[in-house]
Amino acid sequence: MKRILVCCAAGLSTSMVVNRMRQAAEQQNIAVELNAAGINVFTESFSRYDCCLLGPQVKTHLEACRAQAATSQIPVSVINSMDYGMMRGDKILADALALLA
Amino acid sequence: MSANHAAFNVIFRFVENYVSPIAGRISSQRHVMAIRDGFISAMPFMIVGSFLLVFAYPPFSPDTTWGFARSWLDLAKQFEGQILTPFDMTMGIMSIYICAAIAYNLGKHYVKSHQLDPFMCAMLSLMAFLLVAAPKTKGTLPVDSLGGTGIFTAILVAIYCVEMMRFLKAHNIGIRLPDQVPPMIKNSFDLLIPVLVVVLTLYPLSLFIQTQFDMLIPQAIMSLFKPLVSAADSLPAILLAVLIGHLLWFAGIHGAAIVSGMLQMFWLTNLGMNQSALAQGAPLPHIFMEAFWTFFIVVGGSGATMGLVLCYLRSRSVHLRSIGRLSVVPSIFNINEPVIFGTPIVMNPVFFIPFLLAPMVNAIIAWAAMKLDLIGRVISVVPWTAPAPIGAAWGLGWDFRAAILVVVLAVISAVIYFPFFKVYEKQLLAQEAAEADAQKEAEAEGRQVA
Repeated sequence: MKRILVCCAAGLSTSMVVNRMRQAAEQQNIAVELNAAGINVFTESFSRYDCCLLGPQVKTHLEACRAQAATSQIPVSVINSMDYGMMRGDKILADALALLA
Repeated sequence: MSANHAAFNVIFRFVENYVSPIAGRISSQRHVMAIRDGFISAMPFMIVGSFLLVFAYPPFSPDTTWGFARSWLDLAKQFEGQILTPFDMTMGIMSIYICAAIAYNLGKHYVKSHQLDPFMCAMLSLMAFLLVAAPKTKGTLPVDSLGGTGIFTAILVAIYCVEMMRFLKAHNIGIRLPDQVPPMIKNSFDLLIPVLVVVLTLYPLSLFIQTQFDMLIPQAIMSLFKPLVSAADSLPAILLAVLIGHLLWFAGIHGAAIVSGMLQMFWLTNLGMNQSALAQGAPLPHIFMEAFWTFFIVVGGSGATMGLVLCYLRSRSVHLRSIGRLSVVPSIFNINEPVIFGTPIVMNPVFFIPFLLAPMVNAIIAWAAMKLDLIGRVISVVPWTAPAPIGAAWGLGWDFRAAILVVVLAVISAVIYFPFFKVYEKQLLAQEAAEADAQKEAEAEGRQVA
């Protein structure tokens, strides 16, 4: 099972996104573990996941997060801002799985 | 129109090339992150502690004749000390928690690189802070410098202690024990030298300042910061903070997190002063605090978008209506990412003016209402996800005039957004109509081929 971490400033708006992603995963019968969190816990949490997504509003942390995750070869990327705003769980999930493919 | 476009382009380029990279670097800088996260970790103590204030200082006029209020006031007066103890031991000495929490969060950044133990960082800075801020006198610890007065000292002490531990580790200074010694014991020995360094550096400094100026370090630091703290409470400073925060959001970056991270130390210092004025029955001196930002300036999330969401709900554009439906409930809890990224407001020239203007107008109105004593002033820390009218009343010690003002502010921002919303709706309607036409044509062609 793939594990995906989704981070924003406080983990609140990403929890809405993660709910949508869970619904999409259920509909498509994809087994994934999805968690929302604040960017402040990235450092201690990322190693437990296969990939990490950042909300567009914390994209300034991308470089720092990528640098930390590089040694464990965990991909980190920023969610497309329109998908994020429209809470398109299916699209965000597909993009995340594409990162892992 | 083209002159307008040129002006927008200049602003966009300025934001993209200068404002957001600088903000990005600041917000991911480890000390800044540690301070911000430290404040967040200490928040629960302050939220619960300041919530209890209402029991000691109920929101009734002292000459009320209403029986319920009368008896509450009398009880509160009689048991003021007992009621306030939980407040005194949380919010009243908040700098202790803040200091340990900042050191812990900064220590976490050095776990991998320097094998620091965040818990030991927190312990050391706690000891260092008490050493300089609360030297024992006549069998008690004085608490005067452990509240709002001590915040700047708490930050500096936490950073000093952790950086000193890191320096010692990096230069291999410490007591070396054979490898057979269990790691727990090794860890405790690791702290011997740092404790000694704190005692040998901070304590002489504290003694020097006490004899030279008759002040403790926190009071000395506070008198240095005083001009900055009072400047941060002025209307121009408020508007500048709103401007910076919203320019960042306009560039798609979480401006509120960055601005509030920097301002929290001022907010809490001012809050400490308001609370001690409240306890003395004096007029509250300060206006600009977290509750003022979250519930009055940005009703419904950054940009004060509650008003805009109300416009969206009745929009003829399918896109805007669906955003309205998607975001109306989160907006009540001041979460508005769907509005900002879905509309999108980010880098959208149509919304540049109202997105900056609406929160600034709110700031001016709410500031004036407090200056003119039409509503009270902030005395409590409130979770920022509280619905704005409730949060505003709560922050002001359950002043329900504040809730009414917040509703008025949301309506005013709806009015400010409305003409811009109409312009954008028109653009989207034209786009949606064109898409529908294209789809019809494609279907017609498909039928022909079939």
